[in-house]
Amino acid sequence: MVGRSLSTEQLMAEIERDRLFYDQSGGGVTFTGGEPMFQIEFLEETLLSCKNQGFHTVVDTSGYVSWEGFESILPFVDLFLYDLKLMSESKHKHYTSIPNQMILNNLQRLSRAQSHIIVRIPLIPGINDDENIELSAAFLAGLPYLDEVELMPYHEIGLGKYQALGMKYKLESTQPSTRKQVEEVEEILTRYHLPVKKRFSGRTE
Amino acid sequence: MSLTARVEKLRQQSLEAVETLSSERAELLTEFYSQEIGLVSTPVHRAMAFRYLLEHKSICIHEGELIVGEKGPAQKNAPTFPELCCHSLEDLDVLNHREKTSFKVSPETRERYKKTIIPFWKGKSMRELIFNEMTEEWKAAYQAGVFTEFMEQRAPGHTVLDDKIYNKGMLEFQAEIDDRIARMDYLNDSLAYEKQEELRAMHIAASAIIGYARRHAERALELAAEELDERRRSELLEIAEVCQHVPAQAPRNLWEALQSYWFIHLGVTIELNTWDAFSPGRLDQHLFPFYQQGINVGELNRESAEELLQCFWIKFNNQPAPPKVGVTAEESGTYTDFAQINLGGVRPDGTDGVNEVTYLLLDVIEEMRLLQPSTSIQVSKKNPDRFIKRATKIIRTGFGQPSVFNADLIGQELIRMGKTILDARGGGSSGCVEVGAFGKENYNLTGYFNLPKVLEITLHDGIDPRTGQQIGLATGDPRGFQSMEEVFDAFEKQVNYFVDIKVRGNNVIERLYARYLPCPFLSILIDDCISKGKDYHDGGARYNTTYIQGVGLGTMTDALTSLRHHIFEQKTLPMGRFIEILEADFAGQEQLRQKILNRTPKYGNDDDLADDVMQCVFEIYYHAVDGRKNTKGGEYHINLLPTTVHVYFGSVTGATPDGRKAWTPLSEGVSPVQGADHKGPTAVLRSVAKMDHVRTGGTLLNQKFTPQVLENDEGLDKLVQLIRTFFRLDGHHIQFNVVDAVTLRLAQQHPEQYRSLIVRVAGYSDYFCDLSKTLQDEIIARTEHEAF
Repeated sequence: MVGRSLSTEQLMAEIERDRLFYDQSGGGVTFTGGEPMFQIEFLEETLLSCKNQGFHTVVDTSGYVSWEGFESILPFVDLFLYDLKLMSESKHKHYTSIPNQMILNNLQRLSRAQSHIIVRIPLIPGINDDENIELSAAFLAGLPYLDEVELMPYHEIGLGKYQALGMKYKLESTQPSTRKQVEEVEEILTRYHLPVKKRFSGRTE
Repeated sequence: MSLTARVEKLRQQSLEAVETLSSERAELLTEFYSQEIGLVSTPVHRAMAFRYLLEHKSICIHEGELIVGEKGPAQKNAPTFPELCCHSLEDLDVLNHREKTSFKVSPETRERYKKTIIPFWKGKSMRELIFNEMTEEWKAAYQAGVFTEFMEQRAPGHTVLDDKIYNKGMLEFQAEIDDRIARMDYLNDSLAYEKQEELRAMHIAASAIIGYARRHAERALELAAEELDERRRSELLEIAEVCQHVPAQAPRNLWEALQSYWFIHLGVTIELNTWDAFSPGRLDQHLFPFYQQGINVGELNRESAEELLQCFWIKFNNQPAPPKVGVTAEESGTYTDFAQINLGGVRPDGTDGVNEVTYLLLDVIEEMRLLQPSTSIQVSKKNPDRFIKRATKIIRTGFGQPSVFNADLIGQELIRMGKTILDARGGGSSGCVEVGAFGKENYNLTGYFNLPKVLEITLHDGIDPRTGQQIGLATGDPRGFQSMEEVFDAFEKQVNYFVDIKVRGNNVIERLYARYLPCPFLSILIDDCISKGKDYHDGGARYNTTYIQGVGLGTMTDALTSLRHHIFEQKTLPMGRFIEILEADFAGQEQLRQKILNRTPKYGNDDDLADDVMQCVFEIYYHAVDGRKNTKGGEYHINLLPTTVHVYFGSVTGATPDGRKAWTPLSEGVSPVQGADHKGPTAVLRSVAKMDHVRTGGTLLNQKFTPQVLENDEGLDKLVQLIRTFFRLDGHHIQFNVVDAVTLRLAQQHPEQYRSLIVRVAGYSDYFCDLSKTLQDEIIARTEHEAF
């Protein structure tokens, strides 16, 4: 459908083209997906090349992979973007069809290993914006090390894609969160002394 | 700071004033030239005409104004220049009635044109003289749309002032002029008399501007005598004092500095209808000493300085670009006269040029939000990020200003063209993107050059397929071309042939201006006209550059890349067949056209298969133009910019091998073909940077963003770094189009033209055309919400 197969060498050549822009801005390469860690060997090889070439690296992950995977790439990753969806095991299973124990364990181990982590909580009205927020906040507050927590409010951008693919969109009646709702959740997280990235700050009206 | 009531009112008046064609100047000039004067040298005669205009034109001091003087008898009253080109009654009707950018023509004005002005100037204008002097080849190429001619209705211009008027008054210039005449070597210098006459003309012109300022002083005193409001009366008395002092003498404070510049601006643009008006140049540097001194002695604070600058800004906005004649009157679509104010860059000693006035002026730009004056930031590696970031906050508001230039590269360009390092550092950009040594150079844009049209003619062995006329060289039937090299060779020969025709025309036109329309007032202001005793039009300036602006680089590149790819490499089809398909404008060949559009390397994607063709086209055009001698002791150089001519050039150019349909616009500036770039902004910048910008006198690159991309600090920081990186790659200029909802709707209707439009979606950016209709609508709604 979309995408193409590339070797590490080919991918590195693409990355290399933008080096000057990374040098200037302090930017780098972000591996995202899908789940980039599902291609762990390719990821490890490419991350290693990136580090050898002096690029800043970020891995965006759901955390639902074995710890061995994390261990193998840990030395070559400058920052993890780590999804935290739901604290309740049963709800997690209900909405994502997988359990969350491994995800939570990996996050704890990653934190103990003093990796740089930004935890990202997708905020979906009616699904995880209830007591889950307090539970998540408590869990995160218990981590030894964390760079930042960021909320990712629900939006309807995927709708068109689902329609194009003839797939059923299951959240048709869900409305995106309002700015006020997002700020209330940020407020709860702040009470737990978490380093919250404020969604609307720095925006000049 | 919010606008003061005074500025708010003046700004509103300026916005509401209706653009009107004024016959005042034309009438006065007709009166003057109707007088029997006897034998007088041309420069002196011109100076006398200038003096006559300034002695008799209306004087305007509007209520509440601090900076005074209008080019016409009221705000937005545009004078005309019948000695250059005289409007016909049809021109007046077109200007009066056209839907956009019209000029009101009153029945009285029309009558005066009919009765006196048109009959008097018939057969006497520069425009008629120019067309009479051009060869048949020139006319054929001009009519075919191979090139345009700037000088047919406006005088040589693009001129920018340095700091001299802030240090010297007109009386001091007159002393220099007298001294120069006194030292004239009549025994050995065969041109002594010509020089003497030119210098005498300058002397008259200097007196004329002093007299004009003093007429304002007198009017201010009259108004003060009648004024009941105490505060306004004292302002009027101060205006009288200012106008009595400048520009006769050097300004003593910020107010006088601004008023002095303004009188000089009016003088230059009343003397002749110069291209791109006239520009103050590095205003932040020129004004800084006055600002600092005012603050130190307690005469000024930031607010009062800002108000003066705002009043100054309004004066620019009150002067629409002169109304055009002929086809240009029908096509010209802007009121802007391109006077440009430059901020930042480096000082003549090479140190960081950003100062407190730079930030003050940026505030003024943002608060005034006026079409004129145009503003630009000159970004040097020595400038702080804070300066660029402040400017990006204005760019974000989406009115296209300020544009962004690479000051360090401009320095290199100027030095390559022979300027001293000090003169280069005092230079910058003006007009659209053209570079010059401010206050020391006559650099003229002489016309746009239609590169894709020349390719079309090449592919027809010298014939313009639109008319069937043989206007180019017979370089061989392209069906017989065996390799891409043969295509390049034939194209290069045609480019050289048409550049020869253009240069021959220019060299005549330059002499016509030197001989018949000297400009003694402007000559006072540009080094070294006084010391050489020569007019600005006659090589008096220290540097004399003639530019020809290449247009359609992106279209050209993709067209040649397509020929190479499909004819000689993939052998998709033979040359003869391809030419037939182009002649039929791809009729019945949509599949092939889509293949060309989507399966052929394109400029703007960091793809060497296309970008190396761009380099070849650049070299061909560069070598055809660069280094030729003009008639003023200077040289020819190239620019790559289109203003809006890519639309006109497209309208005379048939289908091109890149898949472009007949009569549609060409690519603009050095930007990729609209929609051909799909690998993101950094790929565009890398492609564009493969051109050797240092060997040009200016290139123009447009990038479009939506407001959401730049809505927070992070976005602005990224933009700053994008600019820095492009300039590390030696890019000349970049301007950001922060698009509005109207553009987004157009993009929905014509996605093929907007494929490279990037919008901020949520936490990421995407190509607008790749989004679902629903989401597009959502973004349009959001954009409207954010628009002003």
